[in-house]
Amino acid sequence: MYLTRFRVNTARPGARRLLSSPQSLHAAVMASFPGLLPTTSTGGAEGPRVLWRLDHNARAEVFLYVVSPGRPDLTHLVEQAGWPAAALDPDTPGWQSRPYTPFLDRLAAGDVWEFRLTANPVHQIRRKDGEPTKRTAHLTPVHQQGWLLDPKRQERAGFRILEKPQDQRLLPGGTTHHNHPHHGDRYQLTVRDERALSFAKSREERSQAHRVKFVMVTFDGRLEVTDPDALRRTLTQGLGKAKAYGCGLMTLAPVPTPPAPGE
Amino acid sequence: MSVLVLRLAAPLQAWGASARFVRRTTESAPTKSGVIGMLAAAQGLDRDDDAGLSRLAALRFGVRIDQPGTRVRDFQTAHHAVTGKSMPLSERFYLADAVFVAALEGEGAFLDELHTALRAPVHPLFLGRRSCPPALPVELATRDSSLLQALRDEPWQASGWYQRLRGKEHTVSLSVLREPVQGEEHGDILRDQPLSFAAAHRRHALRSVVSTTVEVPNPRAVAPRVPAAAHPVPRHEPFDAVEEETL
Repeated sequence: MYLTRFRVNTARPGARRLLSSPQSLHAAVMASFPGLLPTTSTGGAEGPRVLWRLDHNARAEVFLYVVSPGRPDLTHLVEQAGWPAAALDPDTPGWQSRPYTPFLDRLAAGDVWEFRLTANPVHQIRRKDGEPTKRTAHLTPVHQQGWLLDPKRQERAGFRILEKPQDQRLLPGGTTHHNHPHHGDRYQLTVRDERALSFAKSREERSQAHRVKFVMVTFDGRLEVTDPDALRRTLTQGLGKAKAYGCGLMTLAPVPTPPAPGE
Repeated sequence: MSVLVLRLAAPLQAWGASARFVRRTTESAPTKSGVIGMLAAAQGLDRDDDAGLSRLAALRFGVRIDQPGTRVRDFQTAHHAVTGKSMPLSERFYLADAVFVAALEGEGAFLDELHTALRAPVHPLFLGRRSCPPALPVELATRDSSLLQALRDEPWQASGWYQRLRGKEHTVSLSVLREPVQGEEHGDILRDQPLSFAAAHRRHALRSVVSTTVEVPNPRAVAPRVPAAAHPVPRHEPFDAVEEETL
């Protein structure tokens, strides 16, 4: 497995085109693997697959993260939406790629990591009896956090989201005014940057009914590894829906050490 | 020296300095003769008590414009209540929704006496014209300081809506119209130094007015709204975890 990072040159027209359409970016990411034919299935439910995510850290600081079974070649992305002149040196090809497997093998139960996950939180609803269920987006931060905090989902994914110390909580947990359970700010978890996307899969298909519509949000937080094997599967196969459109990729980063007192 | 501080706030106020006959104008700030007349009414002085008036007129006077208000014109077509005959057509000007802080500097004991009189006035108090009663108690305090210091220290008395209207300003600059101190250059001249309020011969002398400004904090100032982009995205560097392996 490989972890790859590419910084998008947002000033270029090519970058605008890629960032405005998850369909185009998905195609561009899939085109980075020389061994992968367009007709090849990108992996079923089992087995590693290509996952990607865009991190909009600032207006001109946009990173594309890719986790993939093979080593990608992002030359075409550098030419369209990167810095090709700076990439002439073979040591700096315009993107960074590192083997991911050693890190995955090092994961152990009880480790604490910071994580970021861009996901598509959905649930299935039935509005009246006898109707088939329908996949529906979670639209409020409480429900979106509740989606990730679902104990069964956390257990299957192999991690546990850490709770805040009691003295750092501002909101008590309890219920909302509709008597739905509400977790307050019990967990070390934030949700931000909700985007409701709606785009056509191809230029020919113009009808509203055939547009792709989904909601994606970015979670940041702190987790503890409970099941390393399950977490390895989560990190390489993704979490949730819309994985082709930049959802489901979770990355881990070390927890920053607090500055020593007196510093 | 002590200072008596007054708050002059009302739906309508009228402060004429040169008004005669049927056109009754108003200055943009309270006149000395108007405020002294109000104090004389509070004390219950007779109109021809010139000795009592001269004690009041000797006080040093200053006024701060806390809320300038709006000038409104009243075109008055009144009829005599008994005979029904038309009164002369007259034009009256008022300041609507204005707030001022007036200060009088003088001897402490006399000012305390005036402060007490304002709390239990002999004749009703009004702000420049009989039809303009004050909206709030007029007396604020007597202080041991100079006239300018008292006008600088007094909190902003403007209405809540006006303070919120200027909520972007953390300190507001208010004009002060006061009498010059000894040796200070003379400012504008206004004929509102009362000599006599006697009905037979009402007389006023010229008075010089220095115009300055003071800075006063705004209690309802709001912090500027932080745009959403100012909230930083949390730092997240997945390569920090991976790079340890490859080096």
